[in-house]
Amino acid sequence: MTGQIAIIGAGPSGCFLAQALLKAQPDLRVDLIDRLPVPYGLVRYGVAADHQGTKGVTRQFARLFERQGARFFGNVSIGSDVGLEDLRGAYDAVVLAAGLSADRRLEIPGSDLPGVHGAGKLTRALYEHPEAEALPELGARPLIVGNGNVAIDLLRLLAKSPEELEGSDLGQGPTDWLAASGIEEITITGRSPAAAAKFDTVMIKELGKLADVSIRVMDAGESDDPDAQKKLAALDALEGGAGARRITFRFGLTPVAVEGTDRATAVRFATAQGEETLACTSVLTAIGFDTPGDLPRDALLREERDGGLAEGLYATGWFRRGPRGTIPDNRADAGALAERILGALSPDPGKVGAGILAGLDEITDYDGWCRIDSAETANPPPGRCRAKITTREGMLGLARQEDTQ
Amino acid sequence: MNIQVLYGTETGNAEMLAEDIVAELEADHAVAAVNLADFDPSEFDTGTLYLMVCSTYGDGELPASAQPFAEKMAAGKPDLTGVHFGIFGMGDREYDETFNGGPATLAALMTAAGATQLGERIAHDASGAEMAEDLAFPWAEDIVAMAGDALGQAA
Ligand SMILES: Cc1cc2nc3c(=O)[nH]c(=O)nc-3n(C[C@H](O)[C@H](O)[C@H](O)COP(=O)(O)OP(=O)(O)OC[C@H]3O[C@@H](n4cnc5c(N)ncnc54)[C@H](O)[C@@H]3O)c2cc1C
Ligand SMILES: Cc1cc2nc3c(=O)[nH]c(=O)nc-3n(C[C@H](O)[C@H](O)[C@H](O)COP(=O)(O)O)c2cc1C
Repeated sequence: MTGQIAIIGAGPSGCFLAQALLKAQPDLRVDLIDRLPVPYGLVRYGVAADHQGTKGVTRQFARLFERQGARFFGNVSIGSDVGLEDLRGAYDAVVLAAGLSADRRLEIPGSDLPGVHGAGKLTRALYEHPEAEALPELGARPLIVGNGNVAIDLLRLLAKSPEELEGSDLGQGPTDWLAASGIEEITITGRSPAAAAKFDTVMIKELGKLADVSIRVMDAGESDDPDAQKKLAALDALEGGAGARRITFRFGLTPVAVEGTDRATAVRFATAQGEETLACTSVLTAIGFDTPGDLPRDALLREERDGGLAEGLYATGWFRRGPRGTIPDNRADAGALAERILGALSPDPGKVGAGILAGLDEITDYDGWCRIDSAETANPPPGRCRAKITTREGMLGLARQEDTQ
Repeated sequence: MNIQVLYGTETGNAEMLAEDIVAELEADHAVAAVNLADFDPSEFDTGTLYLMVCSTYGDGELPASAQPFAEKMAAGKPDLTGVHFGIFGMGDREYDETFNGGPATLAALMTAAGATQLGERIAHDASGAEMAEDLAFPWAEDIVAMAGDALGQAA
């Protein structure tokens, strides 16, 4: 017995950490626990449906379970099904890799109005997360608040014609919803000047390939910084086009209030010149993510140092760092944290490990996930690489099939 | 034959492929995978075949683990005459303008320093249907066969 480690969350940060731990110490017992019946977190439910290449990283994660001996325990929520303290009692070390799934709220008057939607909520609905709400009516002129990569992902998907989604895994429901959306114009607003916008230049360049749009970039400004100049050049290159959907980039607009009586109809912004109000039919906020509150994140992180929270308790990924950083950043964290965990590990053979989960119903394992994955990829509709199982019941049914046969 | 599989990676796909190539070749050769981040150009040796596996990041740039190597090449200006390498690139056609830009840069660094490239540079597409290893294993075997002649003469 060389130690038992539980990782809460089987997203990229949990998987990369498990990989690093098992590479350093192959006979370690590493259990990945996720509240969903399926693994891979935002790789499955956040990374855009039309960015399948990025999802290729799951081939590495599959190795984790197939060759490196990690185990998956799906459909187990830590904090409700099992308490964090109980889990800590059962394992030599516990790592919080639970991500940040709640949308950061726009803290301005009117942000509770119907028609204001967070990017997390909307992408979960688009990508058929089992707990997603129904896809909302956006109207002809949605307005996006935020200038990060998530905002650009949303913009791109909303602006795509059905043909441009070939090869993606966007489901039938969302595909129909998009085709029927009636979107005529999308305005995307950022607080900073364009030169300081958070999105990556490649994300902007990709918009240049959109087939049916016309794009206007207003007041992008100038910069002396070479990286910012690349960003500005990419924006500049987008200008024009004769497509049906109009896209307007606006910068230096700080939202002050969402206006409307029974529904959002405009956003009022503070600008360098004073105030400006932009009419819209819905408001999509993409301004970051926050804890959903199922785990007391703030209290847990209070004493955090380099990923260590308390004896035998650690945090990594978005849960630790906040909603910043791409998949590669999570890998960079994993190596250092694995070393730290292994350095401090003092295995106690008396710990029950996964025995703590014994009383729970309907836990899914990696083989169950493989059955779900096969069912999703066996017969996808034309132009799609996967048809996701959209409900928890559907997933659990497939996952348990072997036991009933 | 002495073979080193040098990999440049950011999310680990190239590392996994490098390890798979080692597993494929190790029955017949003395072969090891080495991260470019841990490799110094002064270690290059004309008696060893270098199989390079490298991905692409940012806007057609080298991945994080290959960047220190590129800096050392620029600073040290080593003469790599007589060094033989093959190169397998990883990228994603979603980034069409800069597709496989990282490995293209790496190959150029090597040849500019006098090294000899064996075979064509392969470009894997993460959005494509083909698994990296299905392209890489036949490639590795071809390069090893070519190197049999080339290294034999050099030695
Ligand atoms: C919309 C969107 C698009 C993105 N696109 C890209 C992209 O194209 N490329 C890129 O590199 N990065 C992208 N990112 C960033 C990337 O997704 C993150 O860097 C990464 O997913 C963070 O990994 P994580 O493991 O910390 O969190 P997550 O991926 O969120 O994983 C957390 C896991 O923990 C589970 N969990 C949560 N709470 C509990 C609990 N109480 N008990 C048990 N399990 C729990 C969740 O179900 C989830 O599976 C995107 C992010 C978003 C939001
Ligand atoms: C942020 C980001 C930027 C990328 N940029 C490019 C690019 O410009 N050109 C390209 O061909 N591939 C690009 N890729 C694709 C990667 O090279 C590809 O996914 C590869 O398999 C990753 O291998 P690695 O895990 O070894 O780093 C990019 C991927 C990401 C996540």
